[in-house]
Amino acid sequence: MLAVSPLRNNTSKDDDEGEMESTFTISSDEFPDFADGNLLESIDFDDLFLSIDVDGDVLPDLELDPEILAVLPPAGEESEMNASGEKTEESDNQRKDEEENKVSTSKGDEETVSKREEPKAVKTGSKDGDKGRKSSIKGKSNNNNQGTRKVKVDWTPELHRRFVQAVEQLGVDKAVPSRILELMGIDCLTRHNIASHLQKYRSHRKHLLAREAEAASWIHRRQIYGSATPVGGGGKRDVNHWLPPTMGFPPSASPMHHQNHLFRPLHVWGHPTMDQSLMHLWPKHLAPPPPPPRPAWGPPPPADPSFWHHQHHRVPNGQTPGTPCFPPPLTAAPTRFGAVPVPGIPPHHAMYKADTGIGVPASQLRRHPLVDLHPSKESIDAAIGDVLSKPWLPLPIGLKPPSTDGVLVELQRQGVPKIPPSCA
Amino acid sequence: MGDSSTSYIHMVQHLIEKCLIFNMTKEECMEALSKHANIKPVITSTVWNELEKENKEFFEAYAQSQSKQDRMSEEETSRMIQKMISDTSSKDPDE
Repeated sequence: MLAVSPLRNNTSKDDDEGEMESTFTISSDEFPDFADGNLLESIDFDDLFLSIDVDGDVLPDLELDPEILAVLPPAGEESEMNASGEKTEESDNQRKDEEENKVSTSKGDEETVSKREEPKAVKTGSKDGDKGRKSSIKGKSNNNNQGTRKVKVDWTPELHRRFVQAVEQLGVDKAVPSRILELMGIDCLTRHNIASHLQKYRSHRKHLLAREAEAASWIHRRQIYGSATPVGGGGKRDVNHWLPPTMGFPPSASPMHHQNHLFRPLHVWGHPTMDQSLMHLWPKHLAPPPPPPRPAWGPPPPADPSFWHHQHHRVPNGQTPGTPCFPPPLTAAPTRFGAVPVPGIPPHHAMYKADTGIGVPASQLRRHPLVDLHPSKESIDAAIGDVLSKPWLPLPIGLKPPSTDGVLVELQRQGVPKIPPSCA
Repeated sequence: MGDSSTSYIHMVQHLIEKCLIFNMTKEECMEALSKHANIKPVITSTVWNELEKENKEFFEAYAQSQSKQDRMSEEETSRMIQKMISDTSSKDPDE
């Protein structure tokens, strides 16, 4: 009631009172209880700030503006409001006399001001303003509502382009909102708008760069190994070791989560996932020693999965460019992926051919990598023979193995009672 | 028992993966494994299917790349042949 009567008095003084009175009436309904200390909660600030519309951040017509603006910032708002609340009782007369003493009679004055500005906006904007008000009062909320001081900026492509230009001119890391604002030279933007947009932009960029770096590193790695492999294929003791223990197809571990997203787009660019998983292989080959040959077929399988799983987890870390496992050239090229598919394919094939085609001259393969698109019988036979004779070898791709039970059940359904079958 | 089945399946998986490296199709794989490793095609096929279930993304991408390669292979092959011709004519092949 403290607020109500003075408000009414104030409105009576104003020219636009008619509207304001109605507004005040509404407001007074919304101000149930000023006696409590919850002035802030009870105050319907949407009314106070309705005059602040989208296009303008200030209330140009009011002399009160600076003071109101001073009051509005969330940090100081509550205290201001409280202070004004306390003074309300005392300053009844003041309010009547001076509308300009907003600070002291903030409630009444603000309402007055807002009413004066756009009385009709009061009702229409009440909802938005309410949200905005409350949220900004509670604690600096972002500029998501039109009723608040922070104007909602519509980042059009054009506007964003100018923003990006300004940022890049200053340097992304050094770009300061105030300078950006200067460079952009747009009146409607506040430093805060710029600041929050800058934050979003930076995080977006980081995400993009990380993805690009990941993909670029893989492609580079593959190319490097693609060219290196023919050399190694001839000279190494065991060709198969070029397909070293794999971490396997990207696991869904959370560290890989980000990288998992990378795999999909990379698929689109013409690289079979295989490439990527094989990419994992090669760096791994550099670091860990290959498993010692084991005579018995029994022991390795149980041990291997855990071994590979261990590497499984290592790979996510290994994927990051810059880790010691990977050759330096990785950082050299932030390649555009459009260029990759074509050059990428030959090395890919060359590598595998060199690895598995024991009977095939490496040099020939190097030069004519695509010839093995339709693999020769000999190379297949050789590869298969390798697997059969050296069961301890790690899986070249390292796909997630199916459950034994699942396979057995399925086979039994198809009429195969047990495996290994006594006769093929 | 279970162990031998597991190791057998593991071996089949290994073989299938080798075929995948060769960009073979499932049918080609079944044939190759049957011919070279005496593995019943039904077993190859079953293991392949189960692998596909466990590694859906991989196989999806694999299928995509396969179709792309089919389209590109002729072009690429002819390019390679041309390169071969120019290579052999320009210098001695070191075989």
